Amino acid sequence: MVNKHRLYWSLQIGGWFLYAVVQIVISVLAYNSISPRRVVFLLLEASLACLLTSLLRSFINRWKWLDMSLPKLIPCVLIAVSLLAVVMYFLRIPVNQALGQLFNPRAALSPSNLLGQSLFYAILFFLWAVFYFTYHYFNRYNKSLKYEASMIEIELKNLKSQLNPHFIFNALNSIRALVDENPSKSKQAINQLSNILRSSLASDKKGLTNFDDELKIVKDYLGLESIRFEERLKTEFDIHPESQRFLVPPLMIQTLVENGIKHGISKLTQGGIVQVRTTVEKNRLKIHIRNSGQLVSGARRSKTGLGLRNTMQRLKLIYGDEASFKIVNENDNFVLTEIIIPQNYTHESINRG
Amino acid sequence: MRALIVDDERLARKELMKLLEDHPMIEVVGEAVNAEEANQMVNDLNPDLLFLDIQMPGKTGFQLLEELDSVPLVVFVTAYDEFALKAFEVNALDYLLKPIQPERLSETIAKLAEKERAKTAAVRGPEKKLGLNDQVFVKDGDRCWFVSLSNVRLFESDGNYIKVYFEANKPMIHKSLNALDEKLDERAFFRASRKHIINLSWVEGIEPWFNGGLMVKLRGGDKVEVSRRQAAKFKDMMSL
Repeated sequence: MVNKHRLYWSLQIGGWFLYAVVQIVISVLAYNSISPRRVVFLLLEASLACLLTSLLRSFINRWKWLDMSLPKLIPCVLIAVSLLAVVMYFLRIPVNQALGQLFNPRAALSPSNLLGQSLFYAILFFLWAVFYFTYHYFNRYNKSLKYEASMIEIELKNLKSQLNPHFIFNALNSIRALVDENPSKSKQAINQLSNILRSSLASDKKGLTNFDDELKIVKDYLGLESIRFEERLKTEFDIHPESQRFLVPPLMIQTLVENGIKHGISKLTQGGIVQVRTTVEKNRLKIHIRNSGQLVSGARRSKTGLGLRNTMQRLKLIYGDEASFKIVNENDNFVLTEIIIPQNYTHESINRG
Repeated sequence: MRALIVDDERLARKELMKLLEDHPMIEVVGEAVNAEEANQMVNDLNPDLLFLDIQMPGKTGFQLLEELDSVPLVVFVTAYDEFALKAFEVNALDYLLKPIQPERLSETIAKLAEKERAKTAAVRGPEKKLGLNDQVFVKDGDRCWFVSLSNVRLFESDGNYIKVYFEANKPMIHKSLNALDEKLDERAFFRASRKHIINLSWVEGIEPWFNGGLMVKLRGGDKVEVSRRQAAKFKDMMSL
């Protein structure tokens, strides 16, 4: 606030002083010489203009002209600057008198002089107003942009996938049993779990991650769930080699796979299959996740819906309308989740703000 | 104590078995991999204790309990289920979080031993009928209770449901009063009328009523009418 105040006054005084200097220079160039009285007059004139425009500013503030719509504002500004120009015109007459008549006071009252000189001042004040309003509009726009960017960032943070604690503790429990049964497998499982935990911690800082990194996490995740579900969980991967060119939101595929296990496989006494398949078409990455089970429609899905809604919102915030997401019952035995992601996104484009 | 482990994960069952080896008081008589199997095994083996996972394929642990006529002691074993556990905070015997800590399991076993000592003093009802020492599992929306039948003063039929009166609660269970009546020990519970079964140990006063019926006052203030047909039988029972 203090800074803005100071900025205004330095611009205001500096600007009008510059105006006086320019006037003086023009006079010198035009007549090859200038009287000291004329210099004083021009300086006083500039101070007067400075004073009047400051008066205008206080009116602008008091009547909240900055909030006005443009069609209403323009006539108001035009009237104000015209009035100010006339006031300015008459105020400079006594100044002229005090300095010992630089020009003929009688000529000052002639309509043509009055009109011409006032118009000049009016244009001057109008330019001042244009500058003033432009600065403020730009400032406001900038602020709202910043605000929007920070809102998006906060929202994305909230939507970011988080590891399900249920999964972590179940995995630890399985590992505990494995230590006796199959020590080398238990060591592998500990590595898989630590990979997942690490990437989950890192994903807080990253907006997007390499597809390959995400795929590794998905594989580790499924490896751990296979220990838990044993023969009840079968996994299949069919990955297009060009997939690695893409960046994906971290833990998004993992979340969807987990969703398939939680609502699909874990509900089936006989277990089932989880399949992850990618294809690349026209610079777009299509990810298909299939899992055994059926989507339950209606009210009972409200809890499930939250996770999926988060995923949809996340995609929307990052990619706008360029990404797509859907989840459907593919047939009586399988649920299909599909995400399509565009290519031209970098880490930075999402870490803005 | 004879225990049944109910969990869909082999490794989880194995881990619990391993931990229970240190507690000779607990004899694991069976392992069930889902609720249906568990229901069958509870009826066949009649265990004193269930170690029960909540999330399982098919029916959940809660659904299993709702289906059982008489519920053994239950220790919930779950990875992370704060909401479900909240419902039980007041009432559950205990719950264990996976991975199970041996010290925590010891505490649970100590609680069980205490419970068992208190129970052996009383005799079980004949022919597996439900007596005052048995407990039932009642779920009403998000709230769950294990209720000892000795605390239930009244069952009231309401359509296809039965209202179970205990303390200040009267949650509903989906059963018919006739089916329940057959299972209850007749020395402890009495069918007062078409609509009511009362707990005899809660009877506080008896008054004559119209048409040769009776009005029974229960501790806590509930009043239940005994139909004329049942009144004679009731008088017989109460007068020894």
